[in-house]
Amino acid sequence: MSQFSLFSSGIELANLVVSSGLLKLSWDKISELYTELNQSEEIRWKVYQQPQSNCIIVAFVVSPNRTKQLLEEEELVPSSSLPFFHFLRTKIDSSFSISKAAVTLFDCVLDQLSSFKDRVGNSISMIITGHCLGGSVASLFTLCLLKSINQPGTKRPLCITFGAPLIGDKGLQQAISQNLMWNSDFLHVAASQDLVPRFFISPYNPNAMEIDSQIGIYKPFGIFLLCSKYGCSSLEDPEAVSEVLVAMDLEIARNKPPNEQWHMFDYGAVVKRLMSTISFKGISQLSEMIECPRQAGIVLQLQAIGLNRRQQSGDSNPLIAKLEKCEEAFVSKRKMGFDPSKKLNKRKEDMAKLEWYKKVSKSEDKGYYDSYKNRGSKKDLHVVTFKKSLTNYWKEMVAEVERMPQKEEASFRTRWLYGGTNYRRMVEPLDIADYYKENGKKDYKANGRSEHYIKLEKWLEEAGKPLSSQVITRKQNVSASLTEDSCFWAHVEEALIQCELLRNGQEEESTRKKLIEFEEYVMEQIKEYAVSPEIFLGGSSFMQWWKDYEQIVGTSYKSQLTDFMKSRLYQQYH
Amino acid sequence: MTVWFLENLEKFIKSDPSTSRMPPICVTFGSPLVGDFIFNHALRRESWSHYFIHFVMRYDIVPRVLLAPLSSIEPELKIILHFLNPKHTTPMPEPTEEASALYVTVMRNASSVASHAACHLMGNTNKLSDTLLSFVELSPYRPFGTYVFCTGDRELVVVKNPDTVLQILFYSSQLSSEVEGPEIALRSVKDHLNYQSDLQNLETKGVAHLDNLQGLPLSSNVGAAGLGLVLNNLGLSTRARPCLCAAGELEDQKWRNLEKINKKKIDIERGLLALEGYKTRCEAGRVSYYDAFKLSKDTDDFNANVKRLELAGIFDEIKEMLKRYELPDEFEGHREWIDIGTRYRRIAEPLDIANYYRHLKNEDTGPYLIKGRPKRYRYTQRWLEYALKISAGSSGESCFWAEVEELCLRTINMGLFEDVKAHILSLEKQVDKWVQDRELGDDIFFEDSTFVKWWKTLPQLHRSGSCIAKFINN
Repeated sequence: MSQFSLFSSGIELANLVVSSGLLKLSWDKISELYTELNQSEEIRWKVYQQPQSNCIIVAFVVSPNRTKQLLEEEELVPSSSLPFFHFLRTKIDSSFSISKAAVTLFDCVLDQLSSFKDRVGNSISMIITGHCLGGSVASLFTLCLLKSINQPGTKRPLCITFGAPLIGDKGLQQAISQNLMWNSDFLHVAASQDLVPRFFISPYNPNAMEIDSQIGIYKPFGIFLLCSKYGCSSLEDPEAVSEVLVAMDLEIARNKPPNEQWHMFDYGAVVKRLMSTISFKGISQLSEMIECPRQAGIVLQLQAIGLNRRQQSGDSNPLIAKLEKCEEAFVSKRKMGFDPSKKLNKRKEDMAKLEWYKKVSKSEDKGYYDSYKNRGSKKDLHVVTFKKSLTNYWKEMVAEVERMPQKEEASFRTRWLYGGTNYRRMVEPLDIADYYKENGKKDYKANGRSEHYIKLEKWLEEAGKPLSSQVITRKQNVSASLTEDSCFWAHVEEALIQCELLRNGQEEESTRKKLIEFEEYVMEQIKEYAVSPEIFLGGSSFMQWWKDYEQIVGTSYKSQLTDFMKSRLYQQYH
Repeated sequence: MTVWFLENLEKFIKSDPSTSRMPPICVTFGSPLVGDFIFNHALRRESWSHYFIHFVMRYDIVPRVLLAPLSSIEPELKIILHFLNPKHTTPMPEPTEEASALYVTVMRNASSVASHAACHLMGNTNKLSDTLLSFVELSPYRPFGTYVFCTGDRELVVVKNPDTVLQILFYSSQLSSEVEGPEIALRSVKDHLNYQSDLQNLETKGVAHLDNLQGLPLSSNVGAAGLGLVLNNLGLSTRARPCLCAAGELEDQKWRNLEKINKKKIDIERGLLALEGYKTRCEAGRVSYYDAFKLSKDTDDFNANVKRLELAGIFDEIKEMLKRYELPDEFEGHREWIDIGTRYRRIAEPLDIANYYRHLKNEDTGPYLIKGRPKRYRYTQRWLEYALKISAGSSGESCFWAEVEELCLRTINMGLFEDVKAHILSLEKQVDKWVQDRELGDDIFFEDSTFVKWWKTLPQLHRSGSCIAKFINN
């Protein structure tokens, strides 16, 4: 069993947060800011420079009256009307919604925040904090910051909210939590006595539970620091957070009159108490029955947040089992996470084998494209196996990149683009061969091309840098390199089909035009040293085309390509 | 001091093998922490950590003081140290207030350090614990060597795992209740003076070893005897116990990883033999295997490439584990692995270089040595350099071909011999040494090798005076 599933580190992480003193630091700024809040003001924010450190704290508070009003609205705003947050969307899960209350408040300060953001840049450490709906605004502002921190060396911001309500739906949760770094940038402090953090997830809130309505249900993201009078613990898995928030709600409701007047909960006392208990052993106890450290960790967590007080009798709390399951699923999901570097060397072996195949085919005066297409020998069949594993690997890789938010994607791409491009140039011709082997199939580029090739090619174009820059070095090296346009052979196959059509006397005019376009295309590639000299091997489909074409156009026809071919200049192309 | 002594001891033994000296032992009582995580790692790599034995009283504040940044405790510490100074003459009132302040601050910081470490021990995957470090200063000091905790109840607890020691340093001084506060704080200062009295009757004391942390009782109710009693005597709460388990588990995991890696030796050996055979076959045809591989004409070249990639896979895995400290600290000091690593580096790296320049990767990535060199070779080179105690970078013979390739390019492109003269001279000197030490094969001197062909383009005047002219047929 691996390290990751044996232990539950929630308590330790929570303890680290408390003893770091950052909670106190942040809350002190918030309570200072509350004293400056005017009667008429809806929302107030301020930047605090920390003495003797390169760290600033940005705090947000919202007027209690306004808070009460806004909390009545559970409405969500879909991402389509939130252009500011479009960067969060991935190509796969592209929509999410954010609570209207948070968006409304955020809009009030957006202009000021944007100019502030441009002014400070990413070089200083920033804590963004807020209480209640102020915390929601802090979260949204932090999200904006994430857009621009991608280069290594920039400081990651930390968002600490106190008693903030949930602000988004499953879409937002997924957008954030699938990025390990992003999810860890949010720390939500929620006290068990405070209703607000679980307001939108509470089984007692009829609006939040409406399943049939258009509005999605609110979901948590980020790391939660849950505290009670017994201590605190942290939870990361969003499923577990939901479970625990609901359990807390039920637990508290049991002990409180349901129609209690709502008030702003003061976190100052909570933070102070947590700080003062650092030196104490605490009163948590474990039954002697527990032998697994992970289960022990979960029991201690539940004790710390006040959810495991009531059964002393020994019948176990169903929540423990639930959380254990959550943790297991969460961890295994993480571990399953695609790690491209792991299999990289294996795939390099496949590429080396393909390279060798290419070389052997060349020595048979055929080129690997035609060798594979004809499947004349045993080695051609072997190729199928490693072609398949390579294709699976890169399809998975492309899908993984697609799942990433656009910003992250960019840096990921550059790292793998070299390998991806090599793969595409080497393997796509084989797919083309497979495609045209079936009788009557036409137009590979429109009908047969796999999505992942299109993506890989598009990324190379967007990267803007041709892989080998100068024609002169390409010339030196052309015999060892791959044809740059991985669809070259699809063009050849189309040209072959057109020759066939012409021979049968069909579609005279447009077909000829297409063939002339093909000629020009090939000539262009040759001039750029962008095609491999293997296309001129005796048994290649390209030479087959040339034989056909030469017959069709007759001896009087003259063009750059026919000159090049007839004068056998191609023999010097290497 | 002991570290210095140990470093020199090897030299003594080398210079005069007849004297079999006793290695020194360093025993400290209530010593403050000395080094950081790397210091501990380095001592364990050299297998020196068992020469250090540190006695620590359960509450003694001094060994814990450096877990807090000095700036946060300076004023109180001054007064406490003055109080502890055996030479202070004027009687001094007990520094109750300062002791309390110091205790609280040290505990708060020790708690941060211990929790941060525990998150790592437990395999916490989220990045929050790291993000926090850009906002708060965490003490870099960490324990090393063997610790002996004196519980004050006639018992000594021996702990060897430094991760466990760190957790105990924090958890064992926690309070049971608020009332205890001032009393324990004062005791945390006075305990520092009690080593003599506490250790006087050693023979009456029980000695417990906290090594096997797997079956650790997690509940503090199990305390009648055995390990449970030891933990209770150290005052370790329920919360502390999973942390200790995690420290033990991590250590065990490292040894399990090592076992896994050791099993791969057979595959590595097979791969190395294949590559060495390839080299010999090439040499039989008077071709350096570097040049043959760069051309990659034959099936043999192709097979060598597959072997190269297989070996790269294994060594990359080892490198990743080392990077994440997933192997025992001693690993990089294992003689056998250093030898395998060196053999691998010398035979395989030229192939990687050939591959790099064959695919012209230097054109978009830059010179091999600067941007292209795989980490697996940097790691294995470092193993050897540590073991031989030679300076970093001095065992670069496996990069010979990359130097040649770059010099080729420079002399072709710029044409000016004078510009690269210094570089060429130093390479020639190194080659002379490497070949004589048999770190580099003499296949590089075959008539048609890239190296000889390039060397022959150098000015006659230079060649005739060169220190490697003797190897080359002119």
